[in-house]
Amino acid sequence: MNTISNLRKQLDKKEISSVELTKKYLENISSKSDLGAFNTVCEDEAIRAAQLADEMIASGNSASLTGIPLAIKDNICTKDIKTTCSSKMLGDYKPPYNATVIEKLVKQGFVPLGKTSMDEFAMGGSSQTSAFAKPKNPFNTECVPGGSSGGSATAVAAGLCVAALGSDTGGSIRQPAAFCGITGIKPTYGTVSRFGLVAFGSSLDQIGPMANSAEDCAIILNAISGHDAHDHTSRNHNIDFTSLLGKSISGLKIGIPKEFFGDGIDEEIKTAVFNAAKFYEQNGAELIEVSMPSLKYAVSAYYLLACAEASSNLSRYDGVKYGYRTDSPESYDQLIKKSRSEGFGDEVKRRILLGTYALSSGYYDAYYKKALAVRQKCRSEHDEIFAKCDIMLTPTTPTVAYKCGENIDDPVKMYLADICTVTANIAGIPAISVPCGLNKSGMPIGFSLSAKRFDDAKLIQFADLFEKENPHPVANI
Amino acid sequence: MCKKYDTVIGLEIHAELSTKTKAFCTCDASFGGDPNTHICPVCTGQPGALPIINHEAVAYAIRAGLALGCEINRYSRFDRKNYFYPDLPKAYQISQLDLPLCINGKLELSTGTVVRINRIHLEEDAGKMVHDDYHGESWADYNRCSVPLIEIVTEPDIKSPEEAAEFVSKIALYLKYLDVCDAKMQEGSIRADVNISLKPAGSLVLGDRAEIKNLNSFRSIQRAIESEIARQTEILSEGGRVVQETRRFDDATGTTSSLRSKENANDYRYFPEPDIMSITFSEEDIERAKSEIPLLPYERVMKYTKEYGLTDEDARVLTLEKYLSDFFDEAVSIYPEYKSVSNMFQTEIMRRVKETDTEEVPISARDFAKVCEMADKNTVNRNDAKTIIRIMFEDCGTPEEIAKANGFIVVEDTAAIAEVVDALFAERYDLIEDYKNGKTNVFGFFMGQANRALKGKATPMSVKAYIEKKFSEV
Repeated sequence: MNTISNLRKQLDKKEISSVELTKKYLENISSKSDLGAFNTVCEDEAIRAAQLADEMIASGNSASLTGIPLAIKDNICTKDIKTTCSSKMLGDYKPPYNATVIEKLVKQGFVPLGKTSMDEFAMGGSSQTSAFAKPKNPFNTECVPGGSSGGSATAVAAGLCVAALGSDTGGSIRQPAAFCGITGIKPTYGTVSRFGLVAFGSSLDQIGPMANSAEDCAIILNAISGHDAHDHTSRNHNIDFTSLLGKSISGLKIGIPKEFFGDGIDEEIKTAVFNAAKFYEQNGAELIEVSMPSLKYAVSAYYLLACAEASSNLSRYDGVKYGYRTDSPESYDQLIKKSRSEGFGDEVKRRILLGTYALSSGYYDAYYKKALAVRQKCRSEHDEIFAKCDIMLTPTTPTVAYKCGENIDDPVKMYLADICTVTANIAGIPAISVPCGLNKSGMPIGFSLSAKRFDDAKLIQFADLFEKENPHPVANI
Repeated sequence: MCKKYDTVIGLEIHAELSTKTKAFCTCDASFGGDPNTHICPVCTGQPGALPIINHEAVAYAIRAGLALGCEINRYSRFDRKNYFYPDLPKAYQISQLDLPLCINGKLELSTGTVVRINRIHLEEDAGKMVHDDYHGESWADYNRCSVPLIEIVTEPDIKSPEEAAEFVSKIALYLKYLDVCDAKMQEGSIRADVNISLKPAGSLVLGDRAEIKNLNSFRSIQRAIESEIARQTEILSEGGRVVQETRRFDDATGTTSSLRSKENANDYRYFPEPDIMSITFSEEDIERAKSEIPLLPYERVMKYTKEYGLTDEDARVLTLEKYLSDFFDEAVSIYPEYKSVSNMFQTEIMRRVKETDTEEVPISARDFAKVCEMADKNTVNRNDAKTIIRIMFEDCGTPEEIAKANGFIVVEDTAAIAEVVDALFAERYDLIEDYKNGKTNVFGFFMGQANRALKGKATPMSVKAYIEKKFSEV
């Protein structure tokens, strides 16, 4: 299993060239194409970038990600490279600009391997709502890799890239990371620019890394984070995500919120997560019980907020400017209606309808405004919790990865599966999912750590400590 | 005749701000340009693009608010107004609903009516559709997308079409003076929506109202209101009820027609814009904004009458257009002979620029001040001074160059005066005798002769002084 830190050494010592490394990954992608991880593989761009990277390395100008092959979720804009959001609506869309994170990575000389598949417009937890490639779980290809960043999780877990970028609106990085036995972090809202991330729920969306180690996540975050003049919600901060690596956790407090360990959580997962808590206790941390009473409203509030914002964000796909357009519409109304009816999949339509309803006159107060009140409550409960402890530890998911095709006809059951992840987005705090073993049937389990806003480096510190003694599971493929 | 109904009018004025760049991206906000040349991923609503905030636009809106007596909300927020239209690429307009930048202002009209201003908020303009009926095609031009607008919303305090037109023209003048809007109605930089209802004379209960959308000239505002009053009067007189609806005004027929009823009104599903953080203002911010407000028309009138000693009428005329008033101010700052500059300005400058369509004076205030000074000091005579201004309007050149090239410079050649006058006195000694005997009208003869002989070498004033001296000596 490759990590960025290992490859950095090999590249800088000229033990391997970036072109060689890139070709190896491109071969992996091609030989394991049935995993459905990628919507677009950009071989030419990758080789070209690798050649440039080798020149940078040769001239002694390498940065931490120079020559490192990464995969990019297909909702992050890449100039002149298709960015489809796994939707027929944007099936041929090539953005005229790069997302800020891509600009930053390009400056470092990274190698873009391709665009990973996902749930359509990041709406889902299985990646099976994709209109294109439907990724599979490398631990059992009959199972989903999770979602919405399922393609990125599959690619990392199957060794098709060193690490990948995902995006997380309600758990879309952490849940697939848990399902595929890798590490994924949703940083504090505002640390990474959203400019060029195709919007789903603007007040919740955040780009983050998915990788084979917490340290790799930190290296990527150091490269992509920072204030961006193009994103009014991005914040000025000087977090060095690697700054606490290797530091002792002795005396630090871990809060265990009892509401996250209720009936809906699989017993095997509870056990594995408690074992992770015990690991930290043995390393000098103190475990305390905390409480988040608003958790029971979190999923409802999350879906109202995310869908309300999505209903507005996705209105721009009208067949006028770019993207899918229906054949010979009779009027402008028909152009819009037919283009949207034909271009969007069922789950996207369901959420647009839900969000439109929640914002409609006469319903706004009962739904959207109530959801905002829950958000406020959730934030203040987090403030109280983090006044008592440094870190909160929870399961990432109520179950392990399920079979493809399951849950798909029961949206409410699917939505409830986000219970452990949505609060971090609602509160804007950072959260990381770390693998903690396999269940009886060999499927990965993950636990989550969260902290107060801009305490992201602490998450990396805790996750790294755990990984050092509990290596990631490896998929047999 | 006793009026049967009172007219109640409220206005929503949209004014495009004259910022260099757009409200939520850095594209050029100037009018015109080939279609879709002032665009970027943000203002064309590309997936993933995000708005940023143009602080110049916020400052302009605040300046307008302060000049119109508004309070500035210390905490302000943007909202999304959602609707589908091909000229609106994001399918929502970034606007302000609950927490606009400015609230509670007022503006007094010449009738004495005080119009309360409910709010002024900042929002973005939409693009433009061009329909090619021949080919059955429609094209979208996004150059205007996201150009900043302020919307000024009044309370229903306006009582007549004339008041409405005066209010809009006064707002236009204010915005020009504040340098926040060029107020060119023909380019659509000011547009108004009018809400009109009638109520029985003296009643306190408001009637049902109709809204007329998108009026873009002072004249059409007045005409639309007149026609709407006539329509509503007829309905009410026949015992009918005015339907609450949106109407459009047809300039050709001078009448309004229904656009959509209240039932079919859009549900804009406003909600807080998540991509833009709320804005907060400190006391210092507001004080700084206040200090940046230039003198407004009525303040300039005061200055012209009190400080410059001009008449009320002169002051009124000089402040009708900001660029002219600015020009006058600059000229008198260089040459502070207010009355003389004002006269020359009104007859020679204002008259000429009114004949053109452009809102600029083609000569510099410095040159104009120089000409006024030359005329006052008799360096050139007044008629020649006017000719210099005409030449400067048509051609280039400084006043001095033009005066020299055309032989307008009056020289005071005292030796020549003495020579000419002394010779005249010697030649016509007979007339001097007459003068001594009380025939003082011979003075005119000497003046005429001497001036003719001295044309271009001396001013009549100097000639006169010398002749007077000679007579006193005889």
